Amino acid sequence: MADTLTTPATPATPATPATSATPAGPTASAASAASASSSPSAGLTAPGAPDRAAPPYGVRETSAPGRAPGRGGVLLARARLVAQRVTAVLLLLAVWEAAPRAGLVDRVFVPPVSEVAAAWWDLALGGALGEHLAASLARSLSGFGLAIVVAIPLGLLIGWYKPVADFLGPVLELFRNTSAVALLPVFVLIFGLDETSKITFVLYACTWPILLNTISGVKTVEPLLIKSARSLGLGPVALFQKVVLPAAVPTIFTGVRLAGAYAILVLLFAEMVGAKAGLGFLINDAQANFRIHDMYAGIITISVLGLLFNLLLVTVERRFSTWRTT
Amino acid sequence: MSPVKIAIRDVGKVFRVRGADRPFTALEHIDLDVREGEFLTLVGPSGCGKSTLLDLVAGLTEPSTGEILIDGRAISGPGLDRGIVFQQYALLPWRTALGNVEFGLEAKGVPRRERAERARHFLGLVGLTGFERRYPHELSGGMRQRVAIARSLAFDPDVLLMDEPFAALDAQTRESLQEELLRIWGKTGKTVVFITHGIDEAVYLGQRVAVMSSRPGRITEVIEVAFDSREGDLRADPAFGEYRHHIWTRLRDEAATAHHEEATPVG
Repeated sequence: MADTLTTPATPATPATPATSATPAGPTASAASAASASSSPSAGLTAPGAPDRAAPPYGVRETSAPGRAPGRGGVLLARARLVAQRVTAVLLLLAVWEAAPRAGLVDRVFVPPVSEVAAAWWDLALGGALGEHLAASLARSLSGFGLAIVVAIPLGLLIGWYKPVADFLGPVLELFRNTSAVALLPVFVLIFGLDETSKITFVLYACTWPILLNTISGVKTVEPLLIKSARSLGLGPVALFQKVVLPAAVPTIFTGVRLAGAYAILVLLFAEMVGAKAGLGFLINDAQANFRIHDMYAGIITISVLGLLFNLLLVTVERRFSTWRTT
Repeated sequence: MSPVKIAIRDVGKVFRVRGADRPFTALEHIDLDVREGEFLTLVGPSGCGKSTLLDLVAGLTEPSTGEILIDGRAISGPGLDRGIVFQQYALLPWRTALGNVEFGLEAKGVPRRERAERARHFLGLVGLTGFERRYPHELSGGMRQRVAIARSLAFDPDVLLMDEPFAALDAQTRESLQEELLRIWGKTGKTVVFITHGIDEAVYLGQRVAVMSSRPGRITEVIEVAFDSREGDLRADPAFGEYRHHIWTRLRDEAATAHHEEATPVG
């Protein structure tokens, strides 16, 4: 099931900073796309002296057509969008609340959301939720962090040396298309049931998107930029440091963001197989012991956690890729 | 007469083509001298090997035969004595206009403090004062090309190699940039080799126009362009029309021959 997410960013279309659908506001990206299409007339400022003397006033106008409707209009549009999104979520919650009460679904298996919320609150107050959350986060972040440390340098190396990339290509392709979850039993066999196996498992799953994106980021640097840098007499080290690496950063970050989603996704599987703490354990354990409310509380926690983590990474990614709009 | 700056001696370039039996001859017997401080334009149909020749002079590739001398010395690879301006600007998108101009200065090893100052000066020279902090995607095509020109001027090369730098721009922007380029050339005294497929552009800018034919790329004629006066609308000058027509006829004849050869099955 993790496979749907496995597709690495295709840097062939650098116009879209985020490859997969991101829950973060499309308002911002739409606005930046609009302002990026600077009108060609900006270059028409008269040659010679008047051009030099002219303040960038004229261009400021043309290069930011996104703000043209005025502040009020934008705010209104944004408010409408927020309302739209909140409405959908509220609707879902309303259905969740009403359906069990109306007897449309079995109340025992799908309790109303208000009861789940109460159970969540109890879990949180009792400290159990915090413990599980902490255990999960520790594993996720360790695996994710290690994956970044391992995969980025490795990817840079593979991407930079074309023969290596060509040699390893088929193997990488094979692993990429093998769901990490399918290999979970192998990890349990080798590393046992303790923390090592879980962290290694997350590390493994997170490595692929980062590695593959880093490789393609390095390989797909605009050849003209390299040519231009070479014409300036830049050596291989300076070329890599000043051109290849910065050019690859946005693509690498797309991989990091995908890996962030994996870190939480695959951990759940690991925690369901053999653990004494963690959200995956909580969900599984609650289900087995017929604490259905707690099970839903765990599920809600995990989805909100995933959402927040992705939001954080999208924000960071955007900071690193502001220039990638053309 | 000024001394020879760039000497191209019987240069040929052959590419091996994958899947083809015979190698592809891009350039053959190119002989050309460019004098110091001269503005030379190189005009020819697309695919005639103009850019290949420029890459050779830039030192990005090596000739298969012959040699290229700069100031009497054979070139060995790229160097900061030559600056290239590409058609697609080749600006680093993650750097501001200022940062892009500084890029060449970093390559040259200019101290950090001096870099910003010099970059500012050259951005001013191309008319971009006030745009230092803009990123390339925030600039129009014409402005981006100005940044690229500033970048090439900033590290102070003797020779400016320009590969169809204005081809991607709209007509009005192109004309204004042509004018400015001449102004900058007059001010800096650089040797300029300017590649174009536009006959008007070649005649308007060049002191001499080298006409190239294709398959294999050869220089068929070098025309001295001289006007009594460059005041007013030069393009309306009858002499301009004559130069233009002369080159046009030559290129058309070449095209007709090339087309004929293309139609005849080879091998």
